[in-house]
Amino acid sequence: MCGQLFLPRCTSAGQARGRGSFPRVAQSGPNHVSTRHPGVLGSRTVAQLVQRMDFPDSLNPTLFMTGPLGLSDVPDLSFMCSWRDALILPEAQPQKSENRVPPDLSKSLHWEPQTPGPFPLLPPGPDPWDPGVTAQDLLFRGDYKYRRQPRVVLDVTEQLSRFLWDHGDIAFAPLGKLMLDNFKLEGAPSQSKKKTVVSVKKLLQDLGGHQPWGCPWAYLSHRQRRFSILGSPVLGRSVTTLLGDTLQEELALRWERLLLDDAFTGGALAWVPGRIAHVGQLVYPIGGALDTLCFQEVTLSPAGDPQVHGTPGHIQLRGPVRQVVTRTVQGESLLAVRSDYHCALWKVSKQGQPSPLQVLKVEKGATGISLSPHLPGELAVCSSSGAVCLWTPQDGLRQVYKDPETLVFRDPSPWRWADFTCHPRVLTVGDRTGVKIIDTQGPPGCGLLLFRDGAEASCQKGERVLLTQYLGESNPESLHPTLHLICTQFSVYLMDERLPLVPMLKWNHDLPSAPLLAQFLPAPQPGFPRPLLLGGQGGQLQLLHITGDSTSVLRLAGPPQSLPSRSDSLSAFPLLDPKSHRRLQERLEAPTIGLSVAIPPSTSTPALSVFQLSAAGDIFQQCLRLQADPRPVDEPKPDSCVPTTSWSPHVTAHCSRWLNTLLEVVDTPPVWTAPTFSHRHLLDYKPQQGVEETVTQSLRTAMARGQLLRQKDLGLLSTTELPPTPESGPEDELSERLEAAWAGRLAAWWQKQQGQDSQPRRQPKRNKRRTQLSCTFSSLSGHLDFSDATSPPHSPDHTPLKTRPQLPLTPTSQEVSQELCIRGVPTERQQTLRDYMAKLPLQEDTPGDSSMPPSQTSSLWSSPSRKQTLRNYTAKLPLQRDTPGGTPMLPSQTCSIRSTRSRQQTPILSGSQPHHKKARMGF
Amino acid sequence: MQQALLKHQWQQAAGYMHSYLQVLEDWDVIKRQAAPEIIWKLGSEILFYHPKSSVETFNTFADRMKNIGVMNYLKISLQHALYLLHHGMLEDASRNLHQAETWRYGDKSSSQEVLINLVQAYKGLLQYYTWSKKKMELSQLDEEDYAYNTASQSMLNHSWKTSINLCALIQIPGVWDPFVKSYVEMLDFYGDRDGAREVLTNYAYDDKFPSNPNAHVYLYNFLKKEKAPREKLISVLKILYQIVPSHKLMFEFYRLLRKSEKEEDQKLGLEVLFGVLDFAGCTRNITAWKYLAKHLRQTLAGNRLAWIQELWDSRKNWWPNFHFSFFWAKSDWKEEKTLACEKALVAGILLGKGCRYFRYISKQDHQVLKKKMKRMKKSVKKFSIVKP
Repeated sequence: MCGQLFLPRCTSAGQARGRGSFPRVAQSGPNHVSTRHPGVLGSRTVAQLVQRMDFPDSLNPTLFMTGPLGLSDVPDLSFMCSWRDALILPEAQPQKSENRVPPDLSKSLHWEPQTPGPFPLLPPGPDPWDPGVTAQDLLFRGDYKYRRQPRVVLDVTEQLSRFLWDHGDIAFAPLGKLMLDNFKLEGAPSQSKKKTVVSVKKLLQDLGGHQPWGCPWAYLSHRQRRFSILGSPVLGRSVTTLLGDTLQEELALRWERLLLDDAFTGGALAWVPGRIAHVGQLVYPIGGALDTLCFQEVTLSPAGDPQVHGTPGHIQLRGPVRQVVTRTVQGESLLAVRSDYHCALWKVSKQGQPSPLQVLKVEKGATGISLSPHLPGELAVCSSSGAVCLWTPQDGLRQVYKDPETLVFRDPSPWRWADFTCHPRVLTVGDRTGVKIIDTQGPPGCGLLLFRDGAEASCQKGERVLLTQYLGESNPESLHPTLHLICTQFSVYLMDERLPLVPMLKWNHDLPSAPLLAQFLPAPQPGFPRPLLLGGQGGQLQLLHITGDSTSVLRLAGPPQSLPSRSDSLSAFPLLDPKSHRRLQERLEAPTIGLSVAIPPSTSTPALSVFQLSAAGDIFQQCLRLQADPRPVDEPKPDSCVPTTSWSPHVTAHCSRWLNTLLEVVDTPPVWTAPTFSHRHLLDYKPQQGVEETVTQSLRTAMARGQLLRQKDLGLLSTTELPPTPESGPEDELSERLEAAWAGRLAAWWQKQQGQDSQPRRQPKRNKRRTQLSCTFSSLSGHLDFSDATSPPHSPDHTPLKTRPQLPLTPTSQEVSQELCIRGVPTERQQTLRDYMAKLPLQEDTPGDSSMPPSQTSSLWSSPSRKQTLRNYTAKLPLQRDTPGGTPMLPSQTCSIRSTRSRQQTPILSGSQPHHKKARMGF
Repeated sequence: MQQALLKHQWQQAAGYMHSYLQVLEDWDVIKRQAAPEIIWKLGSEILFYHPKSSVETFNTFADRMKNIGVMNYLKISLQHALYLLHHGMLEDASRNLHQAETWRYGDKSSSQEVLINLVQAYKGLLQYYTWSKKKMELSQLDEEDYAYNTASQSMLNHSWKTSINLCALIQIPGVWDPFVKSYVEMLDFYGDRDGAREVLTNYAYDDKFPSNPNAHVYLYNFLKKEKAPREKLISVLKILYQIVPSHKLMFEFYRLLRKSEKEEDQKLGLEVLFGVLDFAGCTRNITAWKYLAKHLRQTLAGNRLAWIQELWDSRKNWWPNFHFSFFWAKSDWKEEKTLACEKALVAGILLGKGCRYFRYISKQDHQVLKKKMKRMKKSVKKFSIVKP
């Protein structure tokens, strides 16, 4: 529930309150939104203005079904393909339909990125960034029993054991303290209750400061065993139940946040236009905790390249910034910021100086904030308790809606959202299951569903609303004043508030991560479709072209376009050693938490400047230019397959500078300290000096380093002991190896490695299997390096998650299918299609075997003999297909070849598109 | 493949598609069943945008695809027909739909039924196009001509077939604007006014249908053409007013209300005007402001202050900032002086002489509008609801 106000007003009350604050703004010139797009807004007649609220004469035919989501029987009539929307039903007059202009424009509509990927705009911040837990850390790493449908299993046991291991004092100390009074530490030796009494002194002596399990050399004494049997009903249960419950809860929470972190819904990056059209300010949070709000002045060149001026202004806040919203209403730029439990409003003067208006405390946690496009300074704030409040600096807070339940059906998520509509007193209220229109002046509780997560919009099973946005603008000339955007994890919907429940447009975006960011941009030139930019949390960007004015139906003009993501710009950076490379990659793959677009002053070719804010606090920018020449359809684009852009030396130099600054920041991992056992001062236990102590010490070091303690090491204790270095970790094996190679000691290193490998007996089975698999791959890819053949002992933990479940999965199924096909399952269907597709003009420069797609050709093995076999095989294939009845070839041989081929293909495909394990939000 | 598509690399996508076709014989049943739909979806998209594909290629592809996934036959036929339609091949499309219409497979499920209805409706729509074309030709022919008779005969045949095709679908809840429109036009042409009215009434008032403003607009236009009594028209528009208070027909509604003698209609008229001006897209609608200024004056002259008070109460805390801010005074005066004058008059009446908008406008000096300004000031002085 939105709580009380506490108002550290920094401006005088007169300035912030009431109408007294407006004259200053009004004197300083016209609304700069209109100066930015003079072509669009300049000379509209009244008649045209009136038409903005028109309703299309006739809508696209849509079936209207009511019911829950995921009804399988409902045919999804429309919305199957993107081109479907390009088809307009001809007008009633047939002659019109005959000389309708074919939409040439839609086929050539393309925003060309100026660089192959976005690149950093500002130097990295001084705070090191930690990517936090990954899915890999939380998931059960055991064998997959259900291979067909790998299920997500949170590994509570491992987490629990780690917790007990790392924080034994927290886990056991309270219990120990409780039991201390009843514990007789000095057991009298004369007592003979051998079965039931355990001498603690002896027990602790046995423990001797080392941990019982996780270490292959753990030694359990009889006493310990007895103690654990005796104590388990008390100790085991209390610890596990108490801890396990909270841990499970925490894990589930973490996991949910990992799947969908909705804190940054709406985005924490905003572009505040300045007095001059091409100067503006980027507003974004920085710092490790994202609690410093930054105002950076940026100038846009006509081509869209931004230039940073001076050092940014800072405002230190008391919580992490989650959302930054900006609007220019009646010539007044306002900036609203949402933190977890606070919201704040600033006014940005024409000179770019922010002056705070008010701060609001939200006790239950704010989930969304939006600024009114109609009335200056009005805000809608919603909290996770289900309350929506309207807030103006003049009148304060007013609760307009409250419903702790979700709208359509029950959903556990406390996420709520509110936005404005075309009517200044009507709001939309959204949660995961739907969006409702409410009249803030009407009686509470009434309203109209704008979007229902159900059969009305033919939603899929598990589909949930992730973002809703009012697409109208703050000037009355706005083109689509009644449109609302609704994003789910599968689709985007455009809804007209005058026709609730029926989407005007639906597009299945297929983004691999949750689209929590969206920007609807003005048309680059009059008559052009308006770009709608969607940003996934994982950094993917998609650009839709929306066309249709108020008198015609909305539709997609041209196929949607995906823009390069941050991970595409890895090539702009210089080559690095693996460790730094990994760090850079991690940094580039940090989730996107903000998206903003600035439009440079209009030139002949319209341009967009896209800014992205990553969770690491970096701002990346990319410039897009509209491909201006609508080429005729017959003329193919000569270079449509080859990326046309490349990195300019200026950008690469900038990137390497950025990288240097990034690497200067020392990435110190949290220092792990071995748990200390404080029994010594309790007992008169004097540890023996000498060998035993060194053993304990070396054990501790080994534990600190996360390595095994080998017998060999124990023998050479006095000589080989090294202080634990922060870098030491399993992933460092490669650099170790390289170091050895440099020093010419590779053979010795290898010997040592092998010795190491043969030592641990408890190497997991899974490891072996992967070794086999990777063996297959490496043998196929030709460079059979003997170090690759046996995977390093620690590598399994660092395999990227996405490839893991796929490897054992896909090849097997494909293998079998290939087998079936060769055993004579009729293939006419596939054959006809394949022949037919073969007719399609492929790339001209593919030599010889046109039956193979370019990807396959490019990834062919370098080993000539294998290549030859495949050639032979492919040459034979048609023969075999012509005689489907008999099997003239050796089935086993062909099978093996084909299966290896498919195996080799799998990682390529899965690398580009993780098909099997989509990161759907686990609803 | 999807990535290639999204990057508009059609040739590459075609290459990927070529290798994807293997999925059709995949061992995995689920995968195999899902495949035709994916192939159709992506394949048709590639073919639609591929620079070298032609209508013929698309036709062959569609024909093949129809027979692969049995369940998808109707859907694909429908989209194929739309594609043909898009390329201006009406007859081919019609033939295609006819084929689809007669297609049957297994038990008739409800989804199939809907699809068949839809196919029929599209076919009907195509027939309607030919029909209206013939109608055009007919209107150019002389009535005495022999050709006229044959033409009208064939038209009759056509329309009968078409109406059968169309009427099944529009019983199912949905948004069927083009179908309803053409169906009604044909019914109307042959004098079946009652039938047309029934169809429209059903389309507008059936609870199962989504509240489509167009349905009411069609009904209203139909009734207007029929010269229905004013009360009837008002009642239709009243419902439209409930759904979309910002519709452009509201001005017609307002004029109708003004003509009515009833007092409550007059009051409703005022409400309608206020309602229209509530919307952000209508703030600079000069007609609305003009009507409002006039109506306000008349209402106040008729001593109906209570009506205005009632409507104003809910707006008085946000209209001043929304409409009558200093910013708008400046920009309205700069861009449209007449609008500014009308607004100033309303502002003066509602907010009194002290209001910023009125003060700013009345301070401006303009030769042409001098007389108007004077009148404005006078009426504000006389009528303003805020007593100084």
